[in-house]
Amino acid sequence: MRAAAASLAVLAAVVAIDAGETGVSHQRILFGQSAAFSGPAQELGKNMRRGIQAAFAEANLQGGVHGRQLELLSLDDAYEPEAAIANTRQLIEQEGVFALIGAVGTPTSRSATPVAAAADVPYIAPFTGAAFLRQPIWSNVINLRASYNQETEAMVARLTADLGIERIAVMYQDDSFGRAGYRGARQALERRGMDPVAIGVYPRNTTAVKTALLDLRSADPGAVILVGAYQPVAALIAWARHTGWDPVFITISFVGSNALARELGRSGTGVFVTQVVPFPANDTPPVVAAYRRALAAHEPEAAPGFVSLEGYLAGRLAIAALERCGPEVDRARFLESLRRDGLIDLEGFELRYGDADNQGSDAVFLTAIGSDGAYFPINTLREAKMP
Amino acid sequence: MTGLFKRLLEGRFRISAQLYFGIGGAVALTMGASLVGWFAFNKVGDSQRLVNEDSLPEMAAAFAVAQQSGTLTAAAPRLTAAATPEDFARVAAEIAAERDAFEARLAELTRQGGEDERFVRIRAHGDSLIANIAAIDSSVAERFALAARSEALRAELAAVRSGLVGILVPAIDDQLFYAMTGYRNLGEAPVPRDRHFSEVEFDRYRHLAELQADATIAIQLLASAFNLSDAALIEPLRERFEAAAGRIERRRSVFGATPSQDRIAGAFERLFRLGLSEQSGFNLRASELGLAEQQRGLLGRNRSLAIDLVAEVEGLVSEARTSAEDATEASTEAILTGRRLLLALNVVSIVGALLIAYLFVGRVLLRRLERLSDRMRGMAGGDLETRVEIGGHDEVADMASALEVFRRHALEVQRLNLVEKLAEELKDKNSQLESVLADLRRAQDQIVMREKLAALGELTAGVAHEIKNPLNFVKNFSEVSVELLEEMQEVLREDEVQLGDEQRELVEEICGDLSANLGRICQHGERANGIVHDMLSMGRGGGERQLTDINRLLDEHARLAYHSARATDPNFNLTIDENLDPEAGQIEIVPQDLGRVFLNMVSNACHATDERRRAGEDGEKYEPTLSMATRRLDESIEVRIRDNGSGIPPEVIDKIFNPFFTTKPTDQGTGLGLALSNDIVRQHGGTIRVESEPGEFTEMIVDLPLSPPSEAMADGEGEPEGASRGESLGEEREQPA
Repeated sequence: MRAAAASLAVLAAVVAIDAGETGVSHQRILFGQSAAFSGPAQELGKNMRRGIQAAFAEANLQGGVHGRQLELLSLDDAYEPEAAIANTRQLIEQEGVFALIGAVGTPTSRSATPVAAAADVPYIAPFTGAAFLRQPIWSNVINLRASYNQETEAMVARLTADLGIERIAVMYQDDSFGRAGYRGARQALERRGMDPVAIGVYPRNTTAVKTALLDLRSADPGAVILVGAYQPVAALIAWARHTGWDPVFITISFVGSNALARELGRSGTGVFVTQVVPFPANDTPPVVAAYRRALAAHEPEAAPGFVSLEGYLAGRLAIAALERCGPEVDRARFLESLRRDGLIDLEGFELRYGDADNQGSDAVFLTAIGSDGAYFPINTLREAKMP
Repeated sequence: MTGLFKRLLEGRFRISAQLYFGIGGAVALTMGASLVGWFAFNKVGDSQRLVNEDSLPEMAAAFAVAQQSGTLTAAAPRLTAAATPEDFARVAAEIAAERDAFEARLAELTRQGGEDERFVRIRAHGDSLIANIAAIDSSVAERFALAARSEALRAELAAVRSGLVGILVPAIDDQLFYAMTGYRNLGEAPVPRDRHFSEVEFDRYRHLAELQADATIAIQLLASAFNLSDAALIEPLRERFEAAAGRIERRRSVFGATPSQDRIAGAFERLFRLGLSEQSGFNLRASELGLAEQQRGLLGRNRSLAIDLVAEVEGLVSEARTSAEDATEASTEAILTGRRLLLALNVVSIVGALLIAYLFVGRVLLRRLERLSDRMRGMAGGDLETRVEIGGHDEVADMASALEVFRRHALEVQRLNLVEKLAEELKDKNSQLESVLADLRRAQDQIVMREKLAALGELTAGVAHEIKNPLNFVKNFSEVSVELLEEMQEVLREDEVQLGDEQRELVEEICGDLSANLGRICQHGERANGIVHDMLSMGRGGGERQLTDINRLLDEHARLAYHSARATDPNFNLTIDENLDPEAGQIEIVPQDLGRVFLNMVSNACHATDERRRAGEDGEKYEPTLSMATRRLDESIEVRIRDNGSGIPPEVIDKIFNPFFTTKPTDQGTGLGLALSNDIVRQHGGTIRVESEPGEFTEMIVDLPLSPPSEAMADGEGEPEGASRGESLGEEREQPA
């Protein structure tokens, strides 16, 4: 077994040498993924992997990219930064992957990115909107989604424009993730000459949100922007509505949309969630329908969702970049192919990169939880408020 | 004894025996020297062995102990510096190996030096050091155990804190919310305001908050204990922890019979156990600090022990060094002694060998052999008179007596053979000389004959011309004479009757002319006759001395040579300038011989001028000229023959009278002409000199003595007028009047 593995490794090395770039042979291209497949964030990792694999399987069925089959090797980091570093090293140094794709989470990406950058390995479509990954110094990072700042900006824009709300409060988890969201929201408000009318915080890993609720309620805001984990967010919304206080609640994509809806149950109706990918059940843009077909072909029992759609889009982004490279693939050419012509149109989902811009999409989508506890897409907040 | 010695001395000893004696003596001396040398080197070897077997191993062992003690000394700090239990186990294993090695070295050293007092001390120090290291070892092991416990305790503390926070924070959150709003649970209606907005509820909120604060304080106190480095500061922390624990104990009842009570009670129990029990974090930290202190002490002791040990070992090393130096000194001394002994023996051997060489070989053999050899050389050189006298009773003496016999025989034989041998040699020489003389004569005759034939050949053409010329005269004058006679007959026929005065004059004139013509015919006929005579006489050779007109002889032979040259080359031309002294007169010579001399000289002159003309240096300006002069001196007649030809180079001017020397091409000259001329002139008692300037002139000067003095004869006939006018001979015309 070990001998077989060794000979496989030798074979892989020979093939890799043959084609000139690590992870690339005449027959295949190997991608690596370090994400959470266990622990509280495992749904995110699993769905990202599911989406990427659906996209790869779809391409492989059609003969691969320039005759090469795409493969994904995924390792579990359980949302732990140390494990993310170890996995990234293993994928680069031992497995010899061509690129890393679909990492999950801000702290894990923050730890893994420098490792990938040191080896000049592309770091594609991490599942996070953290601002630091959008800095131009990371020439090897290709972001797919809009940033947290763009999400909070969209929230404030929609709240003020669609509903005319001017008294906006912010509740956030008292840690780096929550503060990042808070800063984004605060900047968006300041751009309109406003300040948060109230601020509520809660300690991480607790659901002790009632003190925050008291603080928020005392200022009687028209809307509350929520940056936190799904349980405390759900607790806050539930208690607010239970006590008869029902301002507009709007929360950020990372919350884990399905978990939030499940936790809220019936009391979730009318809660807004911003998304960075289109609504998975829609038929527009066409890529969403393609996603559902690919997912059905790859894993028929899986239900479509925001995260696996983002994974699918990440896979499609990688495929598009490889197609642009032509038959001669190397990492520099791969990264350059994305920056070169700006626009990449994934069947209606448009990505645009530039020399100092490593983020493809600026799109933020609005969804709301309906009375049946399921999400539905909206274009303005007003139309959700109507019913 | 004396008799035996004398007999030996007098007795006969062969040379071999003598040599055996001499060489045997030298060998005996050499053997003696070798024996002494062997003895001396043995002594050196003993000294060296002393160094090798005693001092060096001792030193090596001492150095090894020193090195090992240094390693051991450095080991203890490495032990305490080990960061992980794995490091510690590895270092401990290494140190165990070092310690074993040290003990082995020490044992070896003890074996070397027995129970030396210093070794006892070193061993004691070493044992103390090893024991100390063992103490450090166990202390460090204990430290790791404590560290593990400490780690576990801190982990538990973190868990306790997280548990307390998880209970207390929501409890406070709930209590505040309840007190403010009256809501307790989701799905329940709020209680009336007088029930929730009461002093009791706010007290409860306050107690919960205090409980959380005290729990936080207690946890912080316990956590900060692990950061202390001074054991003394632990007690104040413990004291404050006890106070916090007391407050917590009092406030615990606030939870009453809520569902959280058991969980919170368990969490607090764990907290109190961590802070107040025997196994408390404070005690653990105190033990850790105490252990660290103990380790420092052990390390200090380790250092001082190491210093003592190293000092002892250094003493040992310096002792070993001293002992090694002593051994080296002894060894050096032995070597020196051996050297002196060898030197003395060498001197004795050399002197002995010299004495043997001098006494035996030199005085007894060589000197006598030398004398014998001298005598032999003397006899070979002809000295047969001296006797051979060499004493002794050996082969040299035998050879000497044999030589003496030989000498006597040789002396006699020499005397007998001498006369006979000389006569024989003389006869041989005589016959050799005679045959050489005969060869010479034959060669001379051949040479002379060849020269005569050559000269005859040269002459033939000239002679033909010479003879033709007088015959022309004879013919012309005869024809003219016939005409004159016819003319006279006409005159006589016309005027048969009478001859007028004029006619008579004419007849007389014709008659006079006829007489003159006839005279000339007679003269030229004689001349032709003379030429033939001369030729004949030359062919004959070896004539008699007779009085001869030297000028005439010169003139005739000059013409011969001239015509000979012209006959061979029609382009040849020469102006002959004669300045003959009429006083020269007649001289007694062999005319044929001297004629050949002049012929030869003029012929050479013709050749020289022709050569210059052919070289064409002066182009058309060159006029070949031959000057001949005779002059009568007091005792001799001088003849000069000078040409302006090519001259004679100075390097050959001394060789021209050598036989067979010639500058002409091989087929044109024999090289004998001037040599014979020289011989001829010398036979006449005269000399030939030559003066020449290359490219300008050559002048041959012949001096002939007047003996006997002859009377100058007037030559009535003489030459026609032109002879002294330098008229060219080639244009000689003598017209009848």
